[in-house]
Amino acid sequence: MKNYLFSCLSKIKAEYAEIRWEERISTHIHWVGKELESIGTAKEKGGCVRIKGKTGWGFSSFNDLDNLTSYLKLTLRQSLLPEGNPIFLAPVSPTVKIVPGNAKKDPRKIDLEEKYRLSFHYNKILLSGPEIQTSDLRYVDLYTIKYFANSEGTYIQQERFYTLLGMASIARRGGNIQSAHEGVGGVGGYELVEDQEEKAERAAKRASQLLDAEPAKGGKYTVVVDPELSGVFAHEAFGHLSEADFLFENERLLEIMRLGRRFGSEILNIVDEPLIPGEGGFYLYDDEGVPAGKTYLIKEGKLVGRLHSRETAAKMGEKPTGNARAISYEYPPIVRMSNTYIEKGEKSKEEIISEVKNGIYARGFRGGQTNLEMFTFAPEEGYIIHNGKIGKKIRDFNLTGNIFTTLSKIDAIGNDLILFTGPGGCGKDGQSPLPVSTGGPHIRIRELVVGGR
Amino acid sequence: MERILKMALAEAEEAEVYREDFQNTTVSFQSNRLKAIDNSFGQGIGLRVIKNGKIGFSSITNIEDLQFLIDSAVTSSLIGQPAFFKFPSTSKVTQVKCFDSAVASLTVEKMVEEGKEAIKAILEEFPYLKCEAEIEKTTAEISILNSSGLSFSYKKSFYSFYVYAFLAREGDFLGVGEGESSCQYKDLSELLAKRVIEKIKLSQKKATIGTGIYPVIFTSKAMPIIFSPLKRGINGKLVHKKISPLSSRLNEKILSPLVSIVDDATFPYGKSSGPVDGEGVPSRKNSIIEKGVLKNFIYDLQTAGLMKTDTTANAARGYDSLPYPSTTNFIVTPGKISMEEMIKDIKEGLIVDQVIGAGQSNVLMGEFSVNLDLGFKIENGKIKGRIKDAMATGNIYNLLNNIRGIGKKIQPINSTYTPPFYFAKINVSA
Repeated sequence: MKNYLFSCLSKIKAEYAEIRWEERISTHIHWVGKELESIGTAKEKGGCVRIKGKTGWGFSSFNDLDNLTSYLKLTLRQSLLPEGNPIFLAPVSPTVKIVPGNAKKDPRKIDLEEKYRLSFHYNKILLSGPEIQTSDLRYVDLYTIKYFANSEGTYIQQERFYTLLGMASIARRGGNIQSAHEGVGGVGGYELVEDQEEKAERAAKRASQLLDAEPAKGGKYTVVVDPELSGVFAHEAFGHLSEADFLFENERLLEIMRLGRRFGSEILNIVDEPLIPGEGGFYLYDDEGVPAGKTYLIKEGKLVGRLHSRETAAKMGEKPTGNARAISYEYPPIVRMSNTYIEKGEKSKEEIISEVKNGIYARGFRGGQTNLEMFTFAPEEGYIIHNGKIGKKIRDFNLTGNIFTTLSKIDAIGNDLILFTGPGGCGKDGQSPLPVSTGGPHIRIRELVVGGR
Repeated sequence: MERILKMALAEAEEAEVYREDFQNTTVSFQSNRLKAIDNSFGQGIGLRVIKNGKIGFSSITNIEDLQFLIDSAVTSSLIGQPAFFKFPSTSKVTQVKCFDSAVASLTVEKMVEEGKEAIKAILEEFPYLKCEAEIEKTTAEISILNSSGLSFSYKKSFYSFYVYAFLAREGDFLGVGEGESSCQYKDLSELLAKRVIEKIKLSQKKATIGTGIYPVIFTSKAMPIIFSPLKRGINGKLVHKKISPLSSRLNEKILSPLVSIVDDATFPYGKSSGPVDGEGVPSRKNSIIEKGVLKNFIYDLQTAGLMKTDTTANAARGYDSLPYPSTTNFIVTPGKISMEEMIKDIKEGLIVDQVIGAGQSNVLMGEFSVNLDLGFKIENGKIKGRIKDAMATGNIYNLLNNIRGIGKKIQPINSTYTPPFYFAKINVSA
């Protein structure tokens, strides 16, 4: 492969060119209630070329490796069309690396029937419990081998196993329908999804219990969020704004996002770190062949870094961070997060809650979104906190805030950091879902707007 | 494809081959200038088999993996779900307009030119904005072949234009995006730029809103917040699982009598138009809501079989997935009043245009709770200015039962064709 890719690259004269080729074998199982919706194994092979012209990019994706030269020629032609300021790439030393995948149990060697039995077993647990109407279970294992070669002489071959189990129980009482989710998995093999009965039980129990919860009342509250939500908060409320492709050609936004600006109090640290084995956003090299690192976005409350591709790093005069990722060969790499989390602090969960007179304890995650200024995230459930004690259960509410003011309202950070691989993943510019992990400890946020009835 | 079918039938009683070939070109503008040109040349084959009455499925992108395709489909059928249908045989297919040769012959240069025009128009009004645009064209050929004798293939084209203008000021970000797409080529640069400019103009003034209950106008662009829970509610799959709040309400009045909606895959050049659905069943127009009464759920073959009814030709799929029921072109009957009349009617209320956080609430029950990304305050029949830092919360079934008026102008929002709606009340937390 290496020789073929380099020989094709040598046939064109471009400032910079790269080729990616990817082969994937995936198995998926989907249960809804008692019915197995689908089960099967699929194979996908495809690649792409990306060529830098003076002022922009050309890109083509395809499924046939034989016509590579003609795709290179077409893309080279189109890479010359963009206009405007020249673009540059931050230097990266050429490297040749072969990165093997890491799975204790290679899912390709496990019979489909065994996977069926395990998912059937979990699904049965999801369906057990009073008033459970149905379930939604998705099992996915994905083996990928990615080849990368560029005109600077870098060649990287990376294998990856990714195994995921998303489980939901859905309970119903008349017109009241409630769901509870649990997800496990990440970069790794079949071992990641074994022995997860407890999580399935928890989902079933919570869905039933949610039927008794009351809809939340809207307003401003002090909110304590659990590690799952604090991770989403780090991702939505700050992570996206740290992606340099939003910033690098926008002088006004750059001024707003100047390094050293204070966003939170000294207890707040937010990090993006691909090199955490097992997590959803684990990788050694990004899709531009740049080695992954650890980037502090917020350190002691101040903005100290951002996530880069080679292009954004060059433009901003900063170092590339290895955050250019593509969800597949069909897309060019863009600046993305990997594993984003709030570092742990000193307080216990109990302490954090006990200091709240009136507020909400929110936990579990349904979704989140940002427009770079405001963010929303939806918990699965909540509890009223009154005089430092957890009270009655509430449901169906959304949390929202302004990124620039909310971070400064974090006044307590717990000592219980946990990372989660979401069953969904992150979406940006039509590229979704990208495997990421998010996490944090329990945190407390003052004056958060709660959307409810 | 015949070869695949033959090989599959050596192993299974019934089989279906679904093939997709597509070519896409996208020109992208970033920071006011042309930045990238992307192409995608894709293909894929899906194989669905029925063996011993059970469904198996697999897919590949390269014909060299043919044996893998057959083996995987057959293996998965050993434990697959029981089939409650037979593959459809050849039937009379009416032509549906879904291919425009003008899309196929559209040049990159022309797409670039239109993007430039849209951005130029916006910058002439607001030189300090940063604009992005994406102009995209796709042509595809879809072929379905099955063991009941069906052999059908058709071409589809797709053109879309999206433009977004962004302004970052300390404490005040503003982003306005407008887009349209259809099977047909049409120069959209002027229309979309005009819409963006209009909304930026309205955003120049600021307004505030307090927590409370207000009358509200949802623009066409905001209506998917309302319709996506309804689309799930009528989905045969959710009805079968009894997790649709509409499960037992067929032929009952569920919405205001002002509401009528059809799902129509035969709509000329609609985004989701085609002569057949993903299983080769001829497309048709299905009434969903007629004067507030729920008329139909939507089904594919398997879901219809489970429910002991007939498919509504709503099977959606890609080559790499089994079919599942999905709406096609979701077309809402327009009402009688103009946007201006709605605004004039409101003493104190708001307009919702763009939100963040849609689809994160209890969608099954029709709940939503969204942050106003772009919303406007109305006072005494006039737009006062942009409102921010507010959440709008409601239940779509309540809203659609308390309608004060439906707009008279339909706008396509992806494959939802809807006018703006004027609802009696919505909860706002600010």
